[in-house]
Amino acid sequence: MTIAFRSVSLFVALSLAWQVQAADTNTLYSSMAPLEQYLMADRTAEIALARSAAPESISRDAEVLVLGRRGYETAVKGKNGFVCVVERSWMAPFDDPEFLNPDQRLPLCLNPPAARSHLPLTFKMTELALAGLNKTQIFDSVKAAFDKKELPLPEPGAVCYMMSKQQYFGRKYGNADPHLMFWVPKTDDMFWGAGLSGSPVYVHQYSPEPITEFIISVSEWSDGTAAPKE
Amino acid sequence: MNWQIVKTAALVVVLSAAYQATAADAKKRYPSMAPLDQYLIADRSAEIALARSAAPESISKDAEVMVLGRHGYETVVKGKNGFVCLVERSWTAGSDDPDFWNPKLRGPICFNPAAARSYVPFTIKKTELVLAGQSKAQMFEGIKAGLDKKELPTPEPGAMCYMLSKQGYLNDQAGHWHPHLMFFVPRTEAATWGANLPGSPILFTDDPEDRMTVFLIPLAKWSDGTDAPMDMH
Repeated sequence: MTIAFRSVSLFVALSLAWQVQAADTNTLYSSMAPLEQYLMADRTAEIALARSAAPESISRDAEVLVLGRRGYETAVKGKNGFVCVVERSWMAPFDDPEFLNPDQRLPLCLNPPAARSHLPLTFKMTELALAGLNKTQIFDSVKAAFDKKELPLPEPGAVCYMMSKQQYFGRKYGNADPHLMFWVPKTDDMFWGAGLSGSPVYVHQYSPEPITEFIISVSEWSDGTAAPKE
Repeated sequence: MNWQIVKTAALVVVLSAAYQATAADAKKRYPSMAPLDQYLIADRSAEIALARSAAPESISKDAEVMVLGRHGYETVVKGKNGFVCLVERSWTAGSDDPDFWNPKLRGPICFNPAAARSYVPFTIKKTELVLAGQSKAQMFEGIKAGLDKKELPTPEPGAMCYMLSKQGYLNDQAGHWHPHLMFFVPRTEAATWGANLPGSPILFTDDPEDRMTVFLIPLAKWSDGTDAPMDMH
């Protein structure tokens, strides 16, 4: 009885704490922070962070983009068709309470089909965020762009590497784990057997983007060190 | 003189020679098809369970299951989720695979709907030709003709499969190897996915006879949830 009561109390306390933190997060990131907080002053550091998304054998020959005051710029020309970039929090799902968290740093290296079909979305979202639009306005603009077919759907075989130990998804997930992401035009979770008990495939259904993201964790960071097992 | 390098090089030479010897040995051991009974699993329930072990139960419990009979694969369990699970035999390997006729080989696979439509027809066709008594060369001629006449499909976007069975036996060298996912795409280069490069978690296999490329991603757990060794070396 005592243990059960303490467990319930603990659950209530944790639940309340989580709700307070989520509410706190929503309040914290309800609008865009000053632009400087999203930028990286050291361009060399941003290039290194972008490249850390994939093993050096891939990223050393990739094009590298860095975020400037007016959007992404090519800082290094590539030779292998891959593009590495550090995305910011406005590329997180719209329902993410840390959507505008200026601390988020999301290094990705995209293969050629992903570079062609995902980067236009990155550029569009960045343009809208840098123009000072709020989350609702960004949502509406992105929805309209897909409706008018101004933004492409993922090409077959669009995949990206997210294996940087330095990646930061925000207060809730930290640097998460190293993984690969596959983008496909909107489909059911079951298309890849994702999100089921024991399945190694995780899924995120985007909205308003008509895109499904399948996520597969891998065992090592890009520097070859082992990732935590769970 | 760096003795570590010398020792590593020597080890590579020895291992490489050992592999070649084993491969040549396998070719000698499996020069042609063994009696059909050696490829069959007498216990149908055991074959169903083995096929299902390719994927987590949450996927395989609602999948269609096919088993190998004397005339080819037969559906023994109807599915509800579009996945198809079956146990492949050695003749679905590449033509130069030394284990091509190895009757011990058991490759449990669960295919997603896109692969069930665009990859499983290859398995069924190859099996049909082999069980009809055709040689390896004749079988691949049959596949070529099927592709030329468009009776065999190209991989659909998103075609993939689960190979997470601890009970599989993929060849005499690797045994059950590692749990992994495989992705089937129209023939392309390894570089498209950054595969086979140092540190890359993606492996590449060219499959010229079937005119496709297979990308593999090794995983950390078997379908029963137990940990798998992650040392790929």
